[in-house]
Amino acid sequence: MLQVKAGNLDTMGLLFERYHRPLFGFLFHMTNQREASEDMLQTVFYRMLKYRHTFTGDGEFRSWMYHLARNVLVDHSKQNKQSSQQYDLADVAERISGGPMADERFQKEQELDTLNRAMAKLSPDNREVLVLSRYQELKYEEIARVLNTTEGAIKVRVHRAMAELKKIYLTLENGKTAYKL
Amino acid sequence: MEKLPINCEQTQEQFSEWLSNQLPDGERAIMEAHLADCSACREDAESTRQLWQLMGKSTLPEPSAAARVRFQAMLDTYKDTMAVEKESVFETLLAKLRQLWTPQYAMRLVYSVALLAVGIAAGYWFQRSNAPTVAYQQQVDTLSRQVEQMRQMMMLSLLENPAASERLRAVSYTEEINEVDDKVIDALLTTLNNDSNVNVRLVTLEALAKLADNPKAREGLVQSIAQQDSPLVQSALADVMVKLQEKRSIKPLRQLLRDDNLNHMVKGKIEQSIRELS
Repeated sequence: MLQVKAGNLDTMGLLFERYHRPLFGFLFHMTNQREASEDMLQTVFYRMLKYRHTFTGDGEFRSWMYHLARNVLVDHSKQNKQSSQQYDLADVAERISGGPMADERFQKEQELDTLNRAMAKLSPDNREVLVLSRYQELKYEEIARVLNTTEGAIKVRVHRAMAELKKIYLTLENGKTAYKL
Repeated sequence: MEKLPINCEQTQEQFSEWLSNQLPDGERAIMEAHLADCSACREDAESTRQLWQLMGKSTLPEPSAAARVRFQAMLDTYKDTMAVEKESVFETLLAKLRQLWTPQYAMRLVYSVALLAVGIAAGYWFQRSNAPTVAYQQQVDTLSRQVEQMRQMMMLSLLENPAASERLRAVSYTEEINEVDDKVIDALLTTLNNDSNVNVRLVTLEALAKLADNPKAREGLVQSIAQQDSPLVQSALADVMVKLQEKRSIKPLRQLLRDDNLNHMVKGKIEQSIRELS
């Protein structure tokens, strides 16, 4: 990124190759909206170019990237307040319907579906730390840098978010079983 | 490793750390020891682990291939704009100047320059034409002299007006005339001696008193004493004589005293004036 800042814009392609997948994952997990996430992905990379002078090189590039991504997410949720929390059913359907439907596989898909719904029900703050720590596999220290807080605070937040997720997940699971019965 | 006391709550707080392999070895050993002892925590840990693993299995839709294309396109346009911006700071300036230099603007420029030149020329010309101020002054002098002559003539004609108010106005004009010639003094003296209206005569007396530097006016005033019959004008004349310290007036004043018709108040006044004069 320092090279990009120095004016070597071609290295940006390298950064894209390396980071666009996890970044897209982050955006998608946060919004559950495929189209919007694709758009935001472009926006984040555009902002990297535009604001490359703000990259100090102190922190890691990843932290800076998530910083930008979070801002884009904030803008996005401001733009469509109503739809931002909506669970994009079409995307879920797409994920479930892929491939031959073995029973076991189907069950797993259902579990995942429940998980995703539980994730969608979490508060954005809680969802964020879980996405960063579990899906993006960031260390607490790094998450703390992205969110401008301390490692201890992140530890507590992840713990709370996990507990919350488990509660929601189990409620959803039970609800489904009850419905089945 | 010594087993340190650790409660269920603390254990649960460490689950995610433990699951994401971020727990330091020491703490990890303690926690696992606690799990071995505590079945509740073990169950809790197991369910959390399952959830954690499930999250790990969560498949992500791949960002579409179009994403890369879009990114490349975006990068290219950005590079282009950057390149354009960089090399053309000077060029844009030139281009802007050239834009400004359309025939229309050129005409406007020429027009404004011409206007400016005209203005300067006019100012210069006026400056120069100010030089013969002497002639100008002469003109003004002649004019003002003419105006004074007009006033004089008007005054003289007004003095013969039958209306007393007009004659009063005529007398007041003498104050505005700078150089009073004999004609005016004659007219005033005639008015002083012969005017039928006392007020006009008093005002005329005042005007003549102001002109007392003129020997003719002074003499006329002295001679006028014998001719006045109004007590008001007589006493006013006596006052003027005292003011002017005119010794020649003593004789006509004494003569006036001998007049039997003289108002006794005026008599006293004149006697006092004679005393002050002699």
